[in-house]
This record gives sequence, structure tokens and C-alpha cells, in this order.
Amino acid sequence: MTATLADQVAARSNAGSPQRRRRSGKSTLLTVVMLLCLVYFLLPIFWLVVASTKANEDLFSSFGLWFSNMNLAENLHNVFTFQDGVFGHWMINSLMYAIASGFGASALATAAGYAFAKYRFPGGNAMFTIVLGAVMIPMTALAIPTYLLFAGANLTNTVWAVILPSLVSPFGVYLMRVYAADAVPDSLIEAARVDGAGEMRIFLQIVLRLLVPGSITVLLFTLVASWNNYFLPLIMLNSPELFPLPVGLAQWQAASAAGSGSQALFSTVITGSLVSVLPLMAAFLFLQRYWQSGLGSGAVKA
Amino acid sequence: MKKDTKLAFWTWVPDIQKEVDLFQAKYPAVKVEVVNVGQGGAHYQKLRAAIQAGKGAPDVVQMEFDKLPSFTLTDSLLDLTPYGIGELKSDYPGWVWGGVTPGGKGIYGVPQDTGPMGMLYREDLFTAAGLTVPKTWDEFAAAVTAYRGKNASSMLTNWAPSSEANMLALFWQAGGRPFSFDGAKNVKINLTGDAACKKVTAYWNDLFKSGNIGNEPDFADAWYQGLNNGKYAAWLTGAWGPVFLQGTAKSTAGKWRVAPLPQWDSSSPASGNYGGSTDAVLKSSQNPIAAAMLARFVNTDEKAALTLANEQFLFPPSTKTLNNPAFADASASFYGGQKVNKQFTDISATVQEGFQFLPFNDYAASSYDKTMGKAIGDRGDLNAALSAWQDDLVQYAKGQGFTVAS
Amino acid sequence: MRAETLTQEAPLRQHKKKVNIAKRRQYAAAYALSMPFMVMFALMIAVPLFYAGYLSFFKKQLIGGVSFVGMDNYVRALTDPSFLGGVGRMALFLVIQVPIMLGLSLLFALILDSGMLRLQRFIRLGVFLPYAIPSVIATLMWGYLYGKDFGPFAQLAKALGLPAPDFLAGGNVLFSIMNIVTWGFVGYNMIVMYAALRSIPAELYEAARVDGASEWRLAWSIKIPAIRGALLLTTIFSVIGSFQLFNEPNLLRVIAPAAIGQDYTPNMYAFQLSFVNQDSNYAAAIAFLLGIVIMAVSYVVQLTANRKERAS
Repeated sequence: MTATLADQVAARSNAGSPQRRRRSGKSTLLTVVMLLCLVYFLLPIFWLVVASTKANEDLFSSFGLWFSNMNLAENLHNVFTFQDGVFGHWMINSLMYAIASGFGASALATAAGYAFAKYRFPGGNAMFTIVLGAVMIPMTALAIPTYLLFAGANLTNTVWAVILPSLVSPFGVYLMRVYAADAVPDSLIEAARVDGAGEMRIFLQIVLRLLVPGSITVLLFTLVASWNNYFLPLIMLNSPELFPLPVGLAQWQAASAAGSGSQALFSTVITGSLVSVLPLMAAFLFLQRYWQSGLGSGAVKA
Repeated sequence: MKKDTKLAFWTWVPDIQKEVDLFQAKYPAVKVEVVNVGQGGAHYQKLRAAIQAGKGAPDVVQMEFDKLPSFTLTDSLLDLTPYGIGELKSDYPGWVWGGVTPGGKGIYGVPQDTGPMGMLYREDLFTAAGLTVPKTWDEFAAAVTAYRGKNASSMLTNWAPSSEANMLALFWQAGGRPFSFDGAKNVKINLTGDAACKKVTAYWNDLFKSGNIGNEPDFADAWYQGLNNGKYAAWLTGAWGPVFLQGTAKSTAGKWRVAPLPQWDSSSPASGNYGGSTDAVLKSSQNPIAAAMLARFVNTDEKAALTLANEQFLFPPSTKTLNNPAFADASASFYGGQKVNKQFTDISATVQEGFQFLPFNDYAASSYDKTMGKAIGDRGDLNAALSAWQDDLVQYAKGQGFTVAS
Repeated sequence: MRAETLTQEAPLRQHKKKVNIAKRRQYAAAYALSMPFMVMFALMIAVPLFYAGYLSFFKKQLIGGVSFVGMDNYVRALTDPSFLGGVGRMALFLVIQVPIMLGLSLLFALILDSGMLRLQRFIRLGVFLPYAIPSVIATLMWGYLYGKDFGPFAQLAKALGLPAPDFLAGGNVLFSIMNIVTWGFVGYNMIVMYAALRSIPAELYEAARVDGASEWRLAWSIKIPAIRGALLLTTIFSVIGSFQLFNEPNLLRVIAPAAIGQDYTPNMYAFQLSFVNQDSNYAAAIAFLLGIVIMAVSYVVQLTANRKERAS
């Protein structure tokens, strides 16, 4: 993402009505109340940071919300060296799955959302309705059928078993359809047609630019969804080298309750958890302004 | 074994690559890929899914004793009799061999480790409470009350709600034989008609009702802490327990000791088995000979077996390893220099034969959780829960087309 | 949608043949643009769904194999206390948790939008941050915080001489799960609503503000009605999320097995049926029935919203 694009998007999302924000006075009381609420949201994260610095024993004997003996370096060492450093694989996998699914899903959703918004074509509405309806059926329960189909195509225990299903984001299509309806003026399309531009050229050269803020929002949502994806990779993958972070961490957590051959890895799991949420938290910090850009430009008013 | 062969081996034994390396040093043409697909539940779920899909299953798989019958039922495991595994029979106690020959037909795994039950206890806390080690269950119950009387904030022991395998081992010790399966379609489910099962259940019902023992979920963080900080002074567990505890309750080093389980009849000491596993070969394996060799080698080659026992701390099933001085004479400072291995070897010899598991043990365990486990968690009526468990199992078995006897 | 009308009207004035060519070209473009998604949708969602639907009409026994049973699995589900209990529990969850969560989200969004906060960006990010935590890790964290012996709340209670709260006891655990979900998703819903608030044209309430209407009055009579779409969207997604609850209770079960049964939520039950009871046929039927329940509830939500709109 280039700086110009970032500015564009930021400009768009702020374009609403700059004056009105200036008008109301700041309230210290309200700020304090909100900061107190914030404690609730940040407390577990603070706990995670504190707990990451503790060894197994201290985890269970010292006060949970304050530091005890500093063991962070050793915990980190354990996280990255346990089982031949498989954790590093998990981070790379998570990143790869998130990026592949995120960009793929938002590309598919952008094209489809635009088509559903701006063309009336046979089956269009029916397809859109089906897409939305399918969200209602829980995929958890369909794990076995899905697994059997993937196995039939020789796709289980491959990266494709994680990426391909994540490419389908019905919510993304919904968002892009509403967004496109609003952000792309019909007159613009019509003018381009009158100029003799083909439909594909209109999409690629004129429309796409206008859809970018919406697409980025979809990208962010699918990135997060993919980063947090647990259930699907859990059933599809066997080899730990292919696991994404949540599946791997859950496996470590389970290792402490396996009866014979078990190991108590609490401090390793906790520190691993912290390491694994850092990238996304950092992404949130840097991409903050993109979040509402797509949602804001009327997308959810429909 | 000269031909280039690839084997997939699913196991969650930490560092089992060591034993596999020994195997590959001997048979360089066989390439073994060791995969840890997940412990416990996830391991079996993935195995079942792969079997159902007809592809992706490994050649050799770690399988706990209580899961074996559910995979022989679906005809997924290879009978190892033609591969010469039968000649190992005399190396194992009868009850161990019984575990890999469910229903008495065929051999479906090579024993890897076992968990004959004993009692780990804090000698310091026992002494402080003026207790001697209980030899019988009556003495144990008395000790529970006495201990609690002296310690308002701690208890003699804890017994977890999700404890089917653990409870079955107690039934086993008491001589209970509630289940059987003939390998075809006949199962026996007789929890409520089995005097021993009823006796054990009634005994624990009283303990829970008294409020003097814990009912916390085990292997969870709070439970670990309880073992660490003296909240619980004893743990009734399998032979794999001592090393496990050593790794998780470091701050209590030197204070623990090992004793046999309390007995129902002290004139004929008995125990039950809790946990432990085998290595089985999948029927779908393209290289059954090499697969059977691998399962056999990692568990029975002298060096491999000793490594499993001494470095990965799996409690060895074979009498050879059990009696190997390199194993039996080891003393553990965590247990005040006690010869823990020797203790459990003696216990292993008291485990009686003839205990069987249902061919749907997964379901039995989950059904236990919602009947017995619920009663334990709520300190409810355990005797009624036993009936409820019985009824639920019978209903499930009938629904699945079994002929059910009680 | 207003966009669709234009593509029809404009060609009307032109020659018929030309219309057909233009129309055909547009059809082709529409299909070309929507097909990549639709093909993936068909392969990844529709085919497994159909396959599951097919499976749901069969029964597979451990002994005796597969047989066609028609609607039996569905009939069985309708009298199955595990399924009905789970749906009931999720309905309770929905009725309590969703209003609290969305209420907080709306409140925070309005406060942010009022522009009366200092540290606005910091607060917005802080509330949103839990959304970055995977539910697997969130449950792990809250599991520790809920701990009866060493959890900080319990430690705090002990230090004050109070009895330690048991967050994982049978009667409390549903609320503890609600808390985890609320914690994770207030920020997400807040952002959706805040974005919608920001896109309300200022003219809509500048006049009211000039007339001296308070922020609360503005919020109640202008802002909230203006973001009905966002509210409806978040409600429907929360309905779907509630009924499909799986990760949080499934992971909390490890530390609260007596309070959380394997049939605690319909989704957990279906998972258990598939993987423990080895009855994926019945699990498929459960999945479809749950889908129908979700559709019905979403429809009712939508209907209520529409009726309110017409009334106002």
C-alpha cells in the first residue's frame, strides 16, 4: 500500500464533515469514564504480557497481574526452540495463509460485489441470496463432509486446504455490493459506455479505483479471520509444519493433558500466545484508519 | 527390508525420533516420517477422518489400549500375527498382552507403555498430619477425613470429573469387569450388575459427599498448582505419573514418595491400569512388513526400549526392560531417592488379566463425563450416575446395532 | 437497489438490436466478474452443503452399515434434549449477550462520534484491540483470569477477605462465556457503527444542533435512526455468531468439564456427534436444523426492524 493511497483513503473517510467535530467541547469526565472502561478491554492483554515473563511455577504462585521473577528470555527461547523451532514455521504459515486468503478473498469479493451491485442479470439476485443464506449454516458441523471432499481431491494436509476455503467471504461480497452501489456513480459507468469502453475496461480502469477503500476493509476483515482461523486447519492439517499459530498453540496446550508422555508447557504456550498476537496488534496500530474507511462510506447504511 | 520404503508414523511421544533413528540406522532403506498430529482427541479424530476418506492415514500409529477395540471394530488395524509379533507374548505380563489382543482374536499392536496405578504422596504433609500410608481403602477413607480435619485449606487428594480411564482402572483393581466385546457384534455392558463397580462407586460417592476430597478437573492449571503448593497431598495415578509430576511440581522436589494403591483385600494385592499405549499398524499400509518391523523395533529393541523408558520416561510394558538393572535400579531424588521404577514394576505384577474396553470407548468416556463426571463435579449422587451411565451406554450400543448383554 | 434501474432504462431509448447486444455484453461482464467468486463458493461451500444434506438422509451404524432413513434424523433431532437444550441455551445467550454487547458498542460509537473525548484515537484502538486476539487465545487468557485459586480476581477477593468468585461453576459459566465474547467483539461492532455514524451527512443534524439540541437528543432522534442499517447488520451477524458458538465453550470445557457438557452448544454437539459418536449423518441433520433456526431468527429480526421503520 502506497502513501498516496493511504492519504486518499484517509481523506475520504475524513471528508464527511470536518467542522462538526470541532464544535463540541471536550469532556474530561467522559474521557475518564471511557478510560476506566478501557481497563476492562486491556486487562487481559496486560495479564498476557505479565504472564509471559513468568516461569511455570511463578505462573501459579505469584499475583497474576504483576511481575514476578523475570523469565521472559527463557520463555522466548523455549517458544522458538521447542520441537526444533516449529513455532517459527507456524508464524510464517499464519502470515502466508492470512496474506493469500486476505488478498484472494477481497479480490473475488470486489469483482462479485460490483457485479451484483451494478448489473441486473439472470440469476444475479438468486445467487446473491444464496450466498447470504449459506452464512447461516455452521461449517463446524459439516467438517466431515468437507474433509471427505477435500480428501477426494487430495487436498487434505496441504496449504490449499486452508487457503481455498478462506477465499470465499460472503460477508465481503455483501459489503462490496453495498459499497459499490454507493461509491460508483451510474453516470460514470454510463458515460464510459457512451465513450465506447468495454465492460471489463470500465471495471479495471475506472471502477476499481473507486472500490479500493471498500476492498481494503474487506481485506482487513479477511486477514483477521484467516489469522484467527482455528477450526478448519485443525481438521484439515496433520503435519505440524503446516499448522497456523492457533492450531499449533492449542496443540501445545493439549500436550500438558495427554497422560503418558505429557509435558506441562504453560509458560511456553502463554509466551507463544503473546508473540502470536503481536503482529496483528501491530497491524491494527498502523492500519487503524483503514478500518472504517470502507465501512464508513455508506457501506453499512443500506 | 532392503527395498526403499517410506513409512508415516503418527505419535505424540516426545522425541521418539531418537528410537526411530536407531531403526533407520539398522534399516537405512526405510525412511520414516514421524508426525505429531496432536495429542489425545485430535490424534484419533484425524486418524478416523483419514481412515474414512481412504487416504492420508499413516502406516504406524500410536494407540492407547482403551482405543484399540474401537479401531479393530472398524477393521482398520492390521492383525500382526503373520508378522511374527506373537513370539513376543512371553515378554509381557498377561494383562498387557490382553490389551493388544482385544476379544482374544489377533494381535493389533505392540505395547509401548503402561500405567499400572499406584499412589504418589507427600511424605512431609502426611507426617505433619500424623498419617501413615493407608494400605487399604478403609484406611484411605479414614486418612482423608483425618487429613482434612487438620488442614482446612487442603485435602488428601483430588479426583477429577473427566476421569473415565482413571475410574475404570479402579474398577479393574477391585475385580470389576463391566465390559466385553467379542470382536463381532456382541457387547456386554454391566456396570450396575457388577458388584465391584458398584462397590467402588459407592465408596467414592461417600468421599465426594463428605466434601473432604477435591473434585477439580485434572491436567488443568489449577490442578497443577494444587500439586505444587500442597493443596493436594496425594495423587492416585498410573506409572507414568512420577516423571510427569517431577516435571510440573519442581518446587516440591524430594518431598514425594510412591506407594501401592490402597487395597480392597490386602492379602491379595491388586492394581488396575490407567493409560499407556501401543503402536499399531494400519490395514491400509502399503508396506505392512516394514511397518510391523518399525512398531516392533521402537518398542522392543533393547536399546530403543531402554531409551523410551529412561529418556522419554514411558513406563515400559515388557518384563525384560522392567527387570533391566539400568531401569529398575534407578533412584529418583524427587522421591527422596526411592527406587520408583522398582515400585511400579512390583505394582505392574499385581494387575489382573481380563479387563476389556468397549469398542466405542470414545463415546463411553464422553457419556461418563455427562453422567458420572457431572455427579463428581456437582458432588451429586454417584450411584445414580452409574445407572445413568449404564443406561446411556446400552442405548447407544443398541442404536449402533450391537447385541447388548448385561 | 437504485443502481440497477439505470442499466435498464438507458438502453430503452435505443434500437432494439443494439439493446440486445449491449445487454448481452453486460450479462457477459456480470458473469465474468461474479463467476470467480461463485465458482469458489460452489466448490467450497455449496458442494459440501449438498453432500452433507445428502448424508443427512442416511444412517450409519457401527454394526450394520449404511441405510436410507429419510427424515428420521431430523425427527430425532426435534426430540433430542441435547440439541434442543443447546438451542435453548444459545437463545438465552442471544437474548442477554447480544443486547449488552451491541448496546455497549453503540454507546461507545456515539461517544466517539460526539467528539467529546480526549485521547480519542487511543481509546478507539484500545476498545478495538481485543478483536485482534484469536478466540483460542482469548479463551486461554480468560481461563486463567477466571481461575478459582490463582486467578487475579480470586487473589484479589482473598486479599480482601471475600470468598473467591467461581466463574466456572455451572450457573455462572454461561455468563463467563458471554463476557469473553463481549470482550472480543464490542470493539468490532463499535467500529462498524462508528463508521456508519461518520458517514451521516452533517446537514442532517446541524440545524438541530444550532437549535440547541443536546448530544443525547441528537443521538437518539437523528444518529441512531440514521444508522439502522449498521445496527441491523451487526445484530444479524451477532445472531449467527451466537448460535454458532463453538471455540470459547469448547476450550473452556477443559477447565470446567462438569459445567460445560459436550452438548453445551448445538455446534459442539454436532462436532461431538461427528467425531466422538461417529455419527456424521445425524450431525449433518443437526447442522441444517441449526441453519434453519438461525435463518428464522434473522428473518424475525429483520421483520421487526422493517416494521419499526414503517411505524416511524
